[in-house]
Amino acid sequence: MISEMLGLWILDYWGVGWANWFLIFGIAGVGGGIPPMIERRRRRIIENALPGMLASLSDSIGSGQGMQQAMQGIVSTQDDLIANLLEQALDESHSSTFDAGLARFAVMTRSEQVQRVIAIMGTAIEQDAPLQEILYKLSRDYERLNDLMNRREVDLSGRSLLIMMFICVGLPLLIAFLVGLFAPWSNGFQLGFLNNTFALFFCAVSMYSVAVSGRMLGRLRDVLWFLPIWGFIGTYLYIVPYHLIGG
Amino acid sequence: MRDMDEAREILYVIRSLEILMTSGIGLEAAIHSIGQGGYGIVTDDFALIMANVGKGQSMEDELRRTISEAKYAGYKKMLNTLLNNIISDTNIIDTLKTQGGREEEIRNDKVEKYIEDLAGMPESLLTFGMLGPIILSLVGLFPQLMGDAGAAVGMSMEQGMVDSVVAGGLFITLAGMVLVGLKAHFKDPGL
Repeated sequence: MISEMLGLWILDYWGVGWANWFLIFGIAGVGGGIPPMIERRRRRIIENALPGMLASLSDSIGSGQGMQQAMQGIVSTQDDLIANLLEQALDESHSSTFDAGLARFAVMTRSEQVQRVIAIMGTAIEQDAPLQEILYKLSRDYERLNDLMNRREVDLSGRSLLIMMFICVGLPLLIAFLVGLFAPWSNGFQLGFLNNTFALFFCAVSMYSVAVSGRMLGRLRDVLWFLPIWGFIGTYLYIVPYHLIGG
Repeated sequence: MRDMDEAREILYVIRSLEILMTSGIGLEAAIHSIGQGGYGIVTDDFALIMANVGKGQSMEDELRRTISEAKYAGYKKMLNTLLNNIISDTNIIDTLKTQGGREEEIRNDKVEKYIEDLAGMPESLLTFGMLGPIILSLVGLFPQLMGDAGAAVGMSMEQGMVDSVVAGGLFITLAGMVLVGLKAHFKDPGL
C-alpha cells in the first residue's frame, strides 16, 4: 500500500529495485544519525558556555574565593547545561575528592575542549599556580576558538544546504524532466540501460555531495549515517518524475 | 596526514604550555601534562618523550628525535623552542607567546580562506553535475531520436557503443565532481 502510494513499484519497473535497499538502510541510518546530531548540539552548547564559566571562575578566584567555592557560586547563579553538569559532578565529589569531581565533570561533558581545560586546571592546582590568570587566559582562548567555529558554521551551512539541494534534488529532477520530455517511454523509447546508469549516477553523486556538505561543516562522521537515504532520494527523484513526465 | 594532525593541535599545545609555564610550572611538568591526553598526535609524542626520559634517555635527545619526526613547520619551531630552553635557558614564555600569536593568525587566515574557497563550490559541483548528464543523455538518446536520419547523414552509432560512452562519461563526471569536492577535505582549517 505504502509502496504503491510512494510509487516504489516504479523503481522495480525500471529495473532499479536495488534502490529499495538504500531506502531500508537509509531509514535505519536516519535512526542511527539522529543521536550524534543531538550529541553534537549538546556539546556545542556546553563549549559555547565554557568561556563564560571560566571568566566567572577567574573573577571569583580574584575576589579571594577558593576553586570549590567559586564553582559552587556558578552552580547557584547559572541555570544552563554546563552549570547543571557541574552541580552533578560536585555533588558526586562529596563522596570522593574534588579532583575526582572535576574529572567526572570533564567526562560527563563529553567535550574535548572541557577535558583540555580541566587537565590544565588540574595541573595548575597541583603545582599551586596562579589560577585567576590561567582561567582568564583560557577563557579568552576558548572564546576566540568558539567564535571561529561558530563563524564557520554560520558561513558554510547555507552553502552546504545549497549543495545538497542542487545535487540531490535539483539535478535529478532537471535531468528527469529533460529526458522525460524528449524521450517519453510512452512513445516507445527504450531507455532501460540509460535510466539504470543515470539512477546509479544520481545515487552516487547524491551520497558524495552530502558527504562534502558534512565535511564543509566539519561533521563528516555524523552525516555518514544519512548517505543511504540521500542515495535513495537521488535515485527516486530521477526515476519517478521521469516515469510521470514520460507517461 | 601527520602534518594535518600536528597543524590541528599545535595552537592548543602552545597555549597550554604558555599558560602552564607562565604559572611557574616547569618544562618537564608541562610536557608531562600535555602527554597525559587531549592533544592528539602531540600527546602521543610527548607521552613517548616522557616514557623514554623515564627509561633514562635525556630530554634533549628525545626532543631532537621528535623534531626529526615532526612534519609541520610550526610544531618543529615549538619543539626547537623547548630544546633551546633546555640547552641555553632562553626566555621560553615570550617565545611561546609570539609563536602562539603567529599560529593563531595562521588559523584565522586558514578559516577565512577555507570559507572563501568554498564559496563557489555549490555552483562548481552543479556545473559539473549538470553538464555531464545533459550532454550524455542527448548522446544516449541520439540513436533513437535520429532513427534512420542519422545514418542518412553518416552519423549512425551502435547502441552498445553509445551505452559505453554514456557510462564512461558519467563516470568521468563523477570523478570530476569528486575532485572538486576534495577541496573541502584537504583545505580544512582543522578547528
